[in-house]
Amino acid sequence: MDEEKLIEEAKAGDKKALTELVKKYEQTIYNFAFKICRDPAKAENIMQETFFSMIKSLHQFDGKSKLSTWLYRIVANHCLMEVRKKKNRFVPLENDDDMVEDKYVTDWNTLPYKSIENNELRKILDEAIKKLSPDYRIVFLLRDVEGLSTEETGKITELSVPAVKSRLHRARAFLRKEIDEAFKS
Amino acid sequence: MSKIKVTCKVVMDHICENLGEDLNSEKCIAIKNHLDECDDCKNYFNSVEQTIEFYRKYNINLPGDAHERLLNALGLKNE
Repeated sequence: MDEEKLIEEAKAGDKKALTELVKKYEQTIYNFAFKICRDPAKAENIMQETFFSMIKSLHQFDGKSKLSTWLYRIVANHCLMEVRKKKNRFVPLENDDDMVEDKYVTDWNTLPYKSIENNELRKILDEAIKKLSPDYRIVFLLRDVEGLSTEETGKITELSVPAVKSRLHRARAFLRKEIDEAFKS
Repeated sequence: MSKIKVTCKVVMDHICENLGEDLNSEKCIAIKNHLDECDDCKNYFNSVEQTIEFYRKYNINLPGDAHERLLNALGLKNE
């Protein structure tokens, strides 16, 4: 059954259709939540909250955007609420010059480990993204990791296209630099 | 050949802003030309691409019993 029909039937109260929609998106939502909060238990909780919200608000979904985009908006909001509960100190991204090197840049082809299965690399990636402010983290994940367009990312985060590009630019540069420094140490 | 001259800093900023998007403006062509000649910018470009790729590949599977817990919580267990 195509997604449009599933949505219509779910809106009409068909629990089987609703279950199909949940099954279709549970992995995507869980994975995204994990990438924001870096904690399996919290990711599962956010996933549940996201689908509660979906069920509660599905009647408001007008089909003008893709269901996945609509769900990303819901899960992004739940993630932001969760991440902001923490009293983490995020690195302020005020000065671009601090993040871009003008001189020698390491050749990453010589990195000691490049496989994502490597625990050291995973630890480095976790540490780097945890330092990034959630507002930047979410733009980076939606645009670069999940592959949404700049416009879709802007709609979900309620940012203008130039603001999305600016945050993306800083987030990429910040993460690249953090990983680079971890590799060098 | 483009007449626009660019520095490494401009290249790096622009790469970051536009990676993954269409790069057909005169400025972007100048950047591509610069990239062919500058090892530092090439390394920078590759490392930004690699950063994105790392986070794309770092996926976590839904735990086996999380699906059941989800359907239970949503009241959809028997559907």
